[in-house]
Amino acid sequence: MRTSFITRRTYTRSSGLKNTFGDFTCMHCCNFVSADAALSGVHNRNHCPYCLASRHLDLFEAGDRLSACKGAMLPVALTWKRSLKKYARPGDGELMLVHRCRDCDRLSINRIAADDDNALLMSLLRASAHLDRQVLDACAAGGIDVLGAADAQRVTRVLFGQN
Amino acid sequence: MNPFLTPDDPNAGVVVKKITNAYTLRAGGQTFDCILSTRLKRESDTDPVAVGDLVRWNEAGQITEVLPRRNQLSRRSAVPMPGAHAHEQVIASNLDRVVPVFAAANPRPAWHLLDRYLVSAESADIPALVVITKMDLVEGRPEAGEIRSVAGEYQACGYDVILTSAETGAGLDELRAVLSGGLSVFAGKSGVGKTSLLNAIEPGLGLRVQATNRATGKGRHTTTHLEIFEMGTGGAVLDTPGIREFGLWDVDQADLALFFPEMRPWVGKCKFGLGCGHDQEPGCEIRLAVGRGEISPYRYQSYLKLKDET
Repeated sequence: MRTSFITRRTYTRSSGLKNTFGDFTCMHCCNFVSADAALSGVHNRNHCPYCLASRHLDLFEAGDRLSACKGAMLPVALTWKRSLKKYARPGDGELMLVHRCRDCDRLSINRIAADDDNALLMSLLRASAHLDRQVLDACAAGGIDVLGAADAQRVTRVLFGQN
Repeated sequence: MNPFLTPDDPNAGVVVKKITNAYTLRAGGQTFDCILSTRLKRESDTDPVAVGDLVRWNEAGQITEVLPRRNQLSRRSAVPMPGAHAHEQVIASNLDRVVPVFAAANPRPAWHLLDRYLVSAESADIPALVVITKMDLVEGRPEAGEIRSVAGEYQACGYDVILTSAETGAGLDELRAVLSGGLSVFAGKSGVGKTSLLNAIEPGLGLRVQATNRATGKGRHTTTHLEIFEMGTGGAVLDTPGIREFGLWDVDQADLALFFPEMRPWVGKCKFGLGCGHDQEPGCEIRLAVGRGEISPYRYQSYLKLKDET
């Protein structure tokens, strides 16, 4: 009766799983969140811009909605998405938000949206200096470089512009 | 069990073929055509007779009574517009096996549709056998590995799965042996190769088949009626036209998890007991089992999808 493995279906993926991103009410702060790309600047609105919390819904890829966990994913840190460019300098790339599932401890990195609360993002950068060793180890194991105080200037420039 | 066994009544027979309002009965080794009696027509808004039914007929060639069914495979009828009233559509009755047929390619397998067939079969208490056809089209490619893995997941749930090819003959002996007893119904989308499979396991039939549409990869709705064919090895197979939609009928939302065999051990063990909807409730044992990899997340997703519909 027990399946010892789960096959990721790529060839036989259901076509009915497209466009799973829509407006939602944040389970953490209860604010209504619009998924309109004109507001967020992203097509996959996956976290609340007011409290930055998300929800553990996807398993293999964004939008597959295959996770049964459905726990709250709270923001724990910021990181840089590694650039695909061959000769990119270390640290080049897009600023990303690291979420950790409160129920199953799974980590995921997500794009920051245009309407995310920048003050919250900066406070997250400061708070990540006091992260649990367990979370830091999990990030390191997943190849996620957690940003710290040394990156504050660059993060500020990304969030608030050159001046 | 002999699917054509009729009670000791000279006027009782089995419906072996149905084309709109014309029925073919088999009784005492003979077949003959019948229509519905006016009384039966008047008593029901929908077609009261299904293929596989045991019926009584009169000298005028009219079906006058449908004898009690052992079981029936039903679906929700397609409605002409959203919100219109749907009714039960009985596909076949007195079955010993439901055989959902899916193609490995052209068209690709729709596993969510397979889950619908399996839930329907479970709710009607009819054993199911999953058949994948056209394996020759994917052999030697990564797609074959994925299909075998998914087939393995269904086998782990307790279903028999046979991978076949009407072209190469793979899996046909195994299928022939399984179908040799009782009445089986082939069900699946148009173009998956139900009739080709039937031609391959019973070569004398010579039923009409067509290639799928090259541009769309979809079937051409070649089989247009329901008919039972007797197998040389014993048993019989009911060939059906392609089914595009299969809505569940008479499946209660509260019972749905019981129709997924791999979920059964956890039903009633959640924090909220039998009241758990296995969706967002805390302490749900089924969700935890999905997280542990003991239930396929795809099957769980099918469960949620069907739960929304019921």
